[in-house]
Amino acid sequence: MNNPYLSEPAKIVKITPQTDTVKLFRFEFVQKVWGYNFSFAPGQFIELSIPGCGEAPFAPCNAAGAKYLELCIRDIGRLTHKLHEMKVGDKVGIRGPYGNGWPIINQKSKIKNQNGEKKNLLIVVGGLGLIPLRTLILGKDKFLGKDIKVQIFYGARSPQEMLFRYEYAKWRENGIDVKLTIDKECANWVGCVGLVTTLFDKFPIVENAQAFLCGPPVMYKFVLEKLKQKEVTDQDIYLSLERRMHCGLGVCQHCAVGPYYTCKDGPVFSYEQIKNIPGVI
Amino acid sequence: MNQALLEKFVIYLQKANWLIFGPTLIPLDSLDEEEISPYLTAHQPQTKKDNGLILIKQIEKPTELVLDDRLPFYSFKHFFIPEGETLFKYKNNSLKESFEEQKVALLGVNLLDLKAINLYDQVFEKDPYYQARRRKILIVGSSSVPEISNNIFAQKYEEDILEHLPFDIFFANDQQPTINNQHFKVFSGSIKGQRILEHFGYKDYQHIQFSGPIKEGKPDEQMERLRDKLKNKHNQKIWDELGTRCIECGKCTLSCPTCFCFRVDDYPGLEKNSGARVRCWDSCFYQEFSEVSGPSTSSGQAPKFLKTTAERIHFWYFHKFARIPDEFNFIGCVGCRRCAKVCPVGIDIKEVLKEIEAS
Repeated sequence: MNNPYLSEPAKIVKITPQTDTVKLFRFEFVQKVWGYNFSFAPGQFIELSIPGCGEAPFAPCNAAGAKYLELCIRDIGRLTHKLHEMKVGDKVGIRGPYGNGWPIINQKSKIKNQNGEKKNLLIVVGGLGLIPLRTLILGKDKFLGKDIKVQIFYGARSPQEMLFRYEYAKWRENGIDVKLTIDKECANWVGCVGLVTTLFDKFPIVENAQAFLCGPPVMYKFVLEKLKQKEVTDQDIYLSLERRMHCGLGVCQHCAVGPYYTCKDGPVFSYEQIKNIPGVI
Repeated sequence: MNQALLEKFVIYLQKANWLIFGPTLIPLDSLDEEEISPYLTAHQPQTKKDNGLILIKQIEKPTELVLDDRLPFYSFKHFFIPEGETLFKYKNNSLKESFEEQKVALLGVNLLDLKAINLYDQVFEKDPYYQARRRKILIVGSSSVPEISNNIFAQKYEEDILEHLPFDIFFANDQQPTINNQHFKVFSGSIKGQRILEHFGYKDYQHIQFSGPIKEGKPDEQMERLRDKLKNKHNQKIWDELGTRCIECGKCTLSCPTCFCFRVDDYPGLEKNSGARVRCWDSCFYQEFSEVSGPSTSSGQAPKFLKTTAERIHFWYFHKFARIPDEFNFIGCVGCRRCAKVCPVGIDIKEVLKEIEAS
């Protein structure tokens, strides 16, 4: 019988520091099974394990179709600390992918609302919340089509905390509107200062928008208010929920929210779907 | 099957290398201290009625087996979902799977605990560890059949109850139990059960074809009512009140036959870079249950989603009476009330369900 807890060994092939505490790890699978091919949809997650430190869920963030897997991880707990001590050539275990990603992949025909009308995309992210959206951003034309406008509102603590900051120029070249803000005023920063909601006051949001949200739970409440003011409907808002998935298979109960499992039915939910569940965000 | 033959059957199983477990009466004076807390004894003396406690123990002598309708203090859960089980043993970076090998016969599994097995079978359908263990378990159910002389009832008993329970062999006690002279009507519920009965040389049994955990016809009305209340008519008052009483000891989750949630942790061994990945019982009443990673809050706590006792006890009820019905179309509670028996603050599930229904 297949063992869903069995992970595939993967080797670290590249480590790129992103901030003082965040590194981008690139893994290649050690092919034990010939022809093993890993693919995922943007917004899905995997379980990474290091023997002795256990497992934890992370969202892959590399460009779709690559031969490698990239995970962008902050040094915050026992497992991630161990990972940050690792070097190129060291091995971890990876199983997955799990869950449903951002809603575009399933409806092959790019982003459309219920009336079949094409929608532009507003991505609102804070801190590490940018990670599960990078695959989508890098594959904009593939996933969304060339005529869809994409706007990103990204808030970070400081300019040094901004993830993938050397890629923004490329994203902009590809027609993506990247709007940035930092929490507190600092030298060498001429852009917007304030929480991510500040961007809503400074810039008009892309017209006819669907919104994808990912960030700390406290961000959701305030961003949802702003989106309501801009008359984005609850069906057009999608958010990625954070929970600690132990099994990833919809069994262990740790990630249950109301009638759903974040691992199996999420982690991306439409706001319409979950708004009446107490304590969901 | 009479008492003497039943005893022979137990010996037959022992000789066939089955490790046998079943309900047995532990006299009061030989109860291990850890079996039952002094606090509980002081507050709920009735749990030690009859000068002892029915516990599930390994059966060495057939006479130790107690097949009456007293519910064992703990359920048969840990035979199906152990408190802790090794998923992998690891050495450096390589993981080795670890599976159960021992044949276990469970004798005298009551109707309520059989119902719980229906839930395990569904939840762990795709779990290779559960399935490996399940293959090695022989389930011998038993219960008394009230008013068996009434044929219409006996018919219903088989169709409405036994047909929907997972067992290999079933003993229905069809007489008023008199000491040392019990008589059982015997049923088989699987090919495995038939084989064993035939090999033992017993032919006087009927086969009951398992027709799934759910009774035909309309869904259970109480299940529908409770689910509707929990999902569509959330009443915070009930949970706030329970939240002030519950002390989050987690005893209800341990004693509940349908509580199965777990966590997965790595435990280092004595040898360098070796150890085991272990799946063990968890409880949604514990603070860590809903923790996520991230910087601690201003009060020094790890960030979590079930923040209050009220939220945690609501989560427990919501799982049994809304989420399990959604997933499997049956209620996630077998009605044994073990949770009420062990609750140190006297929360009674029967009362809570009445409140939910009335809300």
